[in-house]
Amino acid sequence: MRTLALYLAAGAAYVVLGVIWPSLLLSWVEGTAFLLLCVWILPAALRRLR
Amino acid sequence: MSWAAHDLEPYAIQRHLGGKVAIVPLLIGSYSPDMFSKWFVYGIDVLGIELKADDPVQFHRGWPGVGFTHSLAFGLVVAALILLLTRSRVWSLSFLLGHWAHALTDVGDTIGTMLAFPFSTETFGLGAWAYAGQTDRLTDAGAYFSGLGFVWDGVWILYGLLSWRILTRDYFRETIVPADPVWRWIGRWLPEAALLALYRASFFYGTTRWVAWLIWAHLLNDYPFDLSWGGPDWVEAAYD
Repeated sequence: MRTLALYLAAGAAYVVLGVIWPSLLLSWVEGTAFLLLCVWILPAALRRLR
Repeated sequence: MSWAAHDLEPYAIQRHLGGKVAIVPLLIGSYSPDMFSKWFVYGIDVLGIELKADDPVQFHRGWPGVGFTHSLAFGLVVAALILLLTRSRVWSLSFLLGHWAHALTDVGDTIGTMLAFPFSTETFGLGAWAYAGQTDRLTDAGAYFSGLGFVWDGVWILYGLLSWRILTRDYFRETIVPADPVWRWIGRWLPEAALLALYRASFFYGTTRWVAWLIWAHLLNDYPFDLSWGGPDWVEAAYD
């Protein structure tokens, strides 16, 4: 459930940013990098800080 | 052209064929017809110089042009090359299915695709939604997300959501990883959370940008909906 929430939050953030800057929506690489950042890199960094 | 179907169709194929296909070549196949040409259709600016096809429609879907990338034969040739190079039937078949899904989906617009090339340069098109790639990228987005194109994408999103089990960790471990050694190879450097994100990335990308473009087109801008066949009428659609 925590993972699902993480993906939903990442999706919501990507939609908001994409609506503001549509060019973000044009690149698969940027979209994938954004997802990796939200569901892997940031949570791993936060775990390490704790 | 389609804006999200090419991201989502590979997951539908995956759901039906399970371990007989691999998601990475499915996705590569699905993206391959436009992979190296789309930028030249819309045009890009390099140091103040605009690089753009003189006739974007002819370039993208026609001959002479790179329209042959949307033919069934092109998928077969590349799939055969993949088989020769990798000796992997799974990779070859997956690429082929992904490629054919793309070529057949693009039949939905007002230009269509040269499915029978090199035997014929005739394009097969249903004309359900307007092809507007000859305009700029944002106008094309506004048009696509106002006509039947976005409805077609929505069908795949709905289908994907109903097939949510293929996005789970268990399915990834039991079906996706055993079908393709690439995942174990990447797994030498990345943890499972990253592999799962990569596996789900195209589904995430297709779904979220479908939502975002709809909001952008209709809440931030005033592109009118027109779900008539071949619409929207307000954009100058290209026809073959």
